[in-house]
Amino acid sequence: MIFADGITLLCNDIQVDPQDIVMLVLSWHMKAGTMCEFSKKEFTEGLQSLGIDSLDKFREKIPSMRSELKDEQKFREIYNFAFGWAKEKGQKSLALDTAIGMWQLLFAEKQWPLVDHWCQFLQARHNKAISRDTWSQLLEFAKTVSSNLSDYDAEGAWPYLIDEFVDYLKENGVNQHGQINDSSLN
Amino acid sequence: MSNQKKKHFQIEAFKHKVVMDPKYPDKTWKILEDAIHEIYNHNASGLSFEELYRNAYNMVLHKFGERLYSGLVATMTVHLKDIAQSIEAAQGGSFLEELNRKWNDHNKALQMIRDILMYMDRTYVPSARKTPVHELGLNLWRENVIYSSQIRTRLLNTLLELIHSERTGEVIDRGIMRNITKMLMDLGPSVYEHEFEKHFTNVSAEFYQVESQRFIECCDCGDYLKKAERRLNEEMDRVSHYLDPETEKKINKVVEEQMIENHMLRLIHMENSGLVNMLCDDKYEDLGRMYTLFRRVTDGLLKIREVMTSHIRESGKQLVTDPERLKDPVEFVQRLLDEKDKYDKIINLPFNNDKSFQNALNSSFEYFINLNPRSPEFISLFVDDKLRKGLKGVNEDDVEVTLDKVMMLFRYLQEKDVFEKYYKQHLAKRLLSGKTVSDDAERSLIVKLKTECGYQFTSKLEGMFTDMKTSQDTMQGFYASHPDLGDGPTLTVQVLTTGSWPTQSSITCNLPAEISALCEKFRSYYLGTHTGRRLSWQTNMGFADLKATFGKGQKHELNVSTYQMCVLMLFNNADKLSYKEIEQATEIPAPDLKRCLQSLALVKGRNVLRKEPMSKDVVEDDAFFVNDKFSSKLYKVKIGTVVAQKESEPEKQETRQRVEEDRKPQIEAAIVRIMKSRKQLDHNNLIAEVTKQLQSRFLANPTEVKKRIESLIERDFLERDDNDRKLYRYLA
Repeated sequence: MIFADGITLLCNDIQVDPQDIVMLVLSWHMKAGTMCEFSKKEFTEGLQSLGIDSLDKFREKIPSMRSELKDEQKFREIYNFAFGWAKEKGQKSLALDTAIGMWQLLFAEKQWPLVDHWCQFLQARHNKAISRDTWSQLLEFAKTVSSNLSDYDAEGAWPYLIDEFVDYLKENGVNQHGQINDSSLN
Repeated sequence: MSNQKKKHFQIEAFKHKVVMDPKYPDKTWKILEDAIHEIYNHNASGLSFEELYRNAYNMVLHKFGERLYSGLVATMTVHLKDIAQSIEAAQGGSFLEELNRKWNDHNKALQMIRDILMYMDRTYVPSARKTPVHELGLNLWRENVIYSSQIRTRLLNTLLELIHSERTGEVIDRGIMRNITKMLMDLGPSVYEHEFEKHFTNVSAEFYQVESQRFIECCDCGDYLKKAERRLNEEMDRVSHYLDPETEKKINKVVEEQMIENHMLRLIHMENSGLVNMLCDDKYEDLGRMYTLFRRVTDGLLKIREVMTSHIRESGKQLVTDPERLKDPVEFVQRLLDEKDKYDKIINLPFNNDKSFQNALNSSFEYFINLNPRSPEFISLFVDDKLRKGLKGVNEDDVEVTLDKVMMLFRYLQEKDVFEKYYKQHLAKRLLSGKTVSDDAERSLIVKLKTECGYQFTSKLEGMFTDMKTSQDTMQGFYASHPDLGDGPTLTVQVLTTGSWPTQSSITCNLPAEISALCEKFRSYYLGTHTGRRLSWQTNMGFADLKATFGKGQKHELNVSTYQMCVLMLFNNADKLSYKEIEQATEIPAPDLKRCLQSLALVKGRNVLRKEPMSKDVVEDDAFFVNDKFSSKLYKVKIGTVVAQKESEPEKQETRQRVEEDRKPQIEAAIVRIMKSRKQLDHNNLIAEVTKQLQSRFLANPTEVKKRIESLIERDFLERDDNDRKLYRYLA
């Protein structure tokens, strides 16, 4: 088993920051069960599938792994994978803080303008763990609904939490550019 | 033998030439022409029908039909022109009479002429395609008399003037009117219509337009409707007496349009006398009239219904949101029933039991009853009041009537599960305090609820009745097996099955020694026959009868709650007790204890205890004494308070919360049921189906349903479809 220390060493060797999102992509390839650990099987089979058998090859592969995030389909898979990977073993839901961290990481890549509001909202109003359904539906929401909410459909079978988020945004006067006008949120 | 040629016997045709007298047609025609003159001059009696017929016959036979016919036309035309002149000459009133008389004469003449010329009518006329005699006579009359420029307009105007004067109250000669109109009808279908009817309807329209305008300025709604009705009747009368029946629907339409349709809204909304006033004052006659009249016009009833509906909704809304009214729940519900009765009567009688009105009434009631979230509670309190005392001494049929009325209100409730919760609480109190007026009435209502809502609604309620019965049997068994207890206090225990009765938190208190010993005996007795069960005493729900002797020897029987009993029994061993001592000894929770002491010391007529100081509230430093000066006119004094009452604010919140909690599993069960049978269903349809299924109990909140769906997704009962995120699939 490789744990956090081992991973830090690995990151050193391949010259990647352990917080770098490409580590997530790597974990995805390895079908890792939980973050911050790789089993021997996961590690070796993962590297095999990537065709990596040396550190150099590893370093070379990094950019291409990074670019996988730009692919819609792959991004979705990686995003959904992230839920199971980031949550505690044996838990059904993802702890809020971890979820927020993951979202900020993932959406930095994907550029969803409302990600900060979403995280603020959750901390202010929800304060509970995130269910798998909410997690996966959020991506759909970010992709299909514009950030000024003009095409948000209240009958659209969005999870309740997302409906509440929309209400929260409306209450606080989100203008066209996705900026909240309410200064009390600082 | 002879060789003679046989001669055939021949008969030769008669070759005698008949030479017709060249003057024959003229001579014969002359005879006939004269005859026609005589006929028109009323001298027909001297004529020989047979001779004339024969002459006409011969003319036709000898191919002089043409001559005969054209002669006829000419002669009749001449006569008719004369007639027209004499009619034109008639003055004033005799114009119509003259016309009528000449018409009759003409008809008689025509009849005779036709009879004479019958052979021509049957042979020459059809083959030459000429107009038959009778019809010819009518046509000529029409052309020469009716269409004569002097007569035509005068006739019309005369008729219209007469009708107008009849409308303004004068009496006219209806017989003659009848004859004239009949004449017009006989002259051809469009003659009546063009010469009279269409002008008649136009003029009538103007007349009624003016009249309706006049009336509406000066009459109130009821009067106006009476007048309109009268006019309609008059017109019908007119038609039946002297107009063509076909005119009826045309003139009706005119009057309806002018008098009713054009003023419909103004009438309905008329201040102080319009529809709303009629409804409020139960003006059955006026309402009935309005209904019958407005029914005749398009949208008439619709308008009435609309205004009635919005009035009922408005006044209903005021009723249920008026804080004064809400102070007494029983009164409140009674008012609702009274309103319903009132409108039922109105719809029944003046509104002819019209179903669409009945529906409007129902939807209005449903609307405003549910505006007040306390309606379910209040209806239950109303029932409680009736079953507790209101129906005392009432005969069976009337009881049924009252209960049916309650059921009718119940049906309007959208939150039937809230009603169920309150009903259960109130029923529990009634059963436990033994304060129900009639067991039969109770059961009857349960049956009605079961019919309305199904077995599930009432199974727990029935369980409560069963428990009461079983407890009776248990008590009998208890005392039978403990004959030694005859002298001590009498204990009556009701054993309540936890699931059936409203949930109570069981807070016990310290019972007086004699009682708790008895209770223990009962407990061991019961558990002896029912192993595996657990009994917990609900001391906040019981009551006791105490025999008390006061300072001056006055004896009373006090009916008190269990808590009150615990407190009072302490005074058998002490004259003065402080609040703290009482609290310690009884272990009754503070808010209940304070209420209990208040009811024992601070209520006039029931103050068996005395408190020092004499302040209004019970506080920790108070001291209590038996009130030796206690007096009451009654021997039996009731102090216990186990009566159902309107809930306080916090209690209300708690009940509502419990109801909301109870709804969650019901919603989930419905979702699972539906998804299991459909295997997959999209979001909106699922919400619709769930709402429909739960409708008979409560109105499901779509947000709540959504939350339940998500919860079920989380627990792997359902999943979203990969391609269509709005589609849910059932996971077996």
